[in-house]
Amino acid sequence: MRLEDLKQGFTSLWDSVSEGWQRLRQSAAGALIRFMPGEGSNLPAKAEVDDDFYLPSHGWALLGGDVFEDERRLVVRVEVPGMKKDEIKIEVLDDALVVSGEKRFERESSEGRYRVLQCAYGSFRRVIPLPARVLPDQANARYADGVLKIELPKAFPGKPQGHTIQVS
Amino acid sequence: MSEAGNVTKQVDAAREQAAMMPPVDVVEDPTGITLFADLPGVPKDKLDLHVEGDSLTIEGEVSVDMPEGMEASYVEVSLPRYRRVFTLSKELDPSKVTAELAQGVLKLRIPKAAHAQPRRIEIRAG
Repeated sequence: MRLEDLKQGFTSLWDSVSEGWQRLRQSAAGALIRFMPGEGSNLPAKAEVDDDFYLPSHGWALLGGDVFEDERRLVVRVEVPGMKKDEIKIEVLDDALVVSGEKRFERESSEGRYRVLQCAYGSFRRVIPLPARVLPDQANARYADGVLKIELPKAFPGKPQGHTIQVS
Repeated sequence: MSEAGNVTKQVDAAREQAAMMPPVDVVEDPTGITLFADLPGVPKDKLDLHVEGDSLTIEGEVSVDMPEGMEASYVEVSLPRYRRVFTLSKELDPSKVTAELAQGVLKLRIPKAAHAQPRRIEIRAG
């Protein structure tokens, strides 16, 4: 297959208008996360990859996050594909959840040539603000289909709080 | 293999059902192509792979299963569908595609057709 064909097709991930907006929204909201490969990460050098957009120094990915709540708990959903569950670290701060870890790059075979390398690899850290105080000791988390689902009981159960702000 | 880039096709697709394009890694070796795609939230039964002629479509629907009665306080993921279409070059044999889906990462292996694989020619001593 011709390299020109591949290059032509893979220049952009934003091919439809609605998709472009979705990505902009997600990246503005905080889903755009930088991935920093470490010393032993094994990522190919730029010369070994035919993807013009590839940079071995760091990558970016949209790790979508959602927060749902009801009277008793918060449920946070974070998209973190391709991890092993014991490689994901979750920390609960007073008003935020921090999800971090390292997505490893595994070389398929020593003979292969990387034509496109768009997925992000390396260490990442995503902070998600929480709308209510929670009890971290009673939290539980599950990882399935590349999505981390964390359930956090509220410290002060009650309806979701709203704050009205006067405009002077 | 290349990406299907026809503009009218895409406008129609966007109108039918908006979808996100997942990021992919494509590795080529002498015997075929390996493709990885990030499809977080797509379970096996919501993943659709189909080949039509020389076109390979990867489509997946994200299942966000939240218990009843939960209010969305902060939502970033609101386009719960992934789609990406590829044009496979003639060297590839789409009938032999194999796929694995683990923790939201799809791994596809598309071997090159037998005639396109590197062959060692035996040289017989005369």
